[in-house]
Amino acid sequence: MEQFLRTPIKELIERFPDVGRILDAYGIGCVPCSVGTCLLADIVEIHNLSEEEERKLLGRIAAVLFPGQDVPLPVTKRSRPAGPRKISYSPPVKRLVEEHKVIMRFVALIPLIARAFDPDSEEHRRLIIEGVDFIRSYADRFHHAKEEDILFGYFDPNLDILKVMHEDHRKGREHVKSLVDAMDRRDREGVAANLSGYAAVLTEHIKKEDEILYPWMDRNLSTRQVGEMFAKFQEVDRKFEEASRKYEEFVDDIESKFNTVAEVTR
Amino acid sequence: MSGFSGCPGSRTIEFNNVDAPDGSTTAKVPSQLRQWPIQLHLVSPEAPYFKGADVLLAADCVPFAMGNFHGDFLKGKSLAIACPKLDGGQDAYVEKIRALCDEAQINTLTVVIMQVPCCRGLLSLAVQASQKSQRKVPIRYVVVGLQGDVLQDGWVE
Repeated sequence: MEQFLRTPIKELIERFPDVGRILDAYGIGCVPCSVGTCLLADIVEIHNLSEEEERKLLGRIAAVLFPGQDVPLPVTKRSRPAGPRKISYSPPVKRLVEEHKVIMRFVALIPLIARAFDPDSEEHRRLIIEGVDFIRSYADRFHHAKEEDILFGYFDPNLDILKVMHEDHRKGREHVKSLVDAMDRRDREGVAANLSGYAAVLTEHIKKEDEILYPWMDRNLSTRQVGEMFAKFQEVDRKFEEASRKYEEFVDDIESKFNTVAEVTR
Repeated sequence: MSGFSGCPGSRTIEFNNVDAPDGSTTAKVPSQLRQWPIQLHLVSPEAPYFKGADVLLAADCVPFAMGNFHGDFLKGKSLAIACPKLDGGQDAYVEKIRALCDEAQINTLTVVIMQVPCCRGLLSLAVQASQKSQRKVPIRYVVVGLQGDVLQDGWVE
């Protein structure tokens, strides 16, 4: 069993598809992850199941890996006892989650923007330019200045889960670059495809961060580190105060334009 | 176990009188206290040990209920203690906690209280002080059961 706990999850699911189905039943969504380098042992730890649930999950996985055999189950690392399933974030991490809501309100409008996009309309082209500016300035520069440069800085950069998150960020940036190229070519399908691609990457990525990564990080940060991070985030907020207000107003405006308000209440 | 059915903070309860199993008979547990005084009326927000510190505000009863209070909570922190039920002059407490946030520029405030309802008052004082302060500080709260177990541990929103 130990060797499988040290196996990257994508490799394990490719060899034993039932493992993916079992993880899915426990709300652990590794199957659609395109990176899949996290080790099974780390995944079990990061999801912070109760001890009983964890034993059941490992028992079911062992039954797939070693059918008909009685395999002793390993004891995994526990940073803190599993708490109630309702997620409670530390104040700085909560701030990042609030910013995710703004980003997700924009992402929720992407299908409408993509459907309506006319490459010959000056107004539509301007909307895409403003949307790209929102992504690059609010999501990438302002939000990631805190997330990548400060929060992730408290953890080992070689952690598989962080590599997965950086890879998602890279994919998002690649879609934005291709989106701009497609718009310059007045390629309607290219614009729509890259908008949708960006929306898909971000939706899955933010869900992973809000529900799995951030709670795990919070469990592993000391009180001292939470306070330091809070102060550093306030500095970034002060620096970007005017810009962040402008981009939040941009999302308000396009919601009014499309006469819709995204339901992002997580 | 006996008593009256009134205030849970004053109800008489006798726990299992068998000594709790631990290794305390073989090793002396070092104190993690880094300062004096500790009572909230007596401490000064200007004291050097509060500058930029992680501050622990503990209800008076907590260290007696928790077997490992020093190791689990006091270590690395500056301390103030108070009782929101019995102490007088609690306006001064609010002002003092505000000064810790604004003037001592503390890093965090951890409020550890007992599960009895009257102890919630200490957390309320901390929240009031935070609302009055210009400088915001993360406030963590920990609720401890009568026999020392941690019942809740979270951050004030």
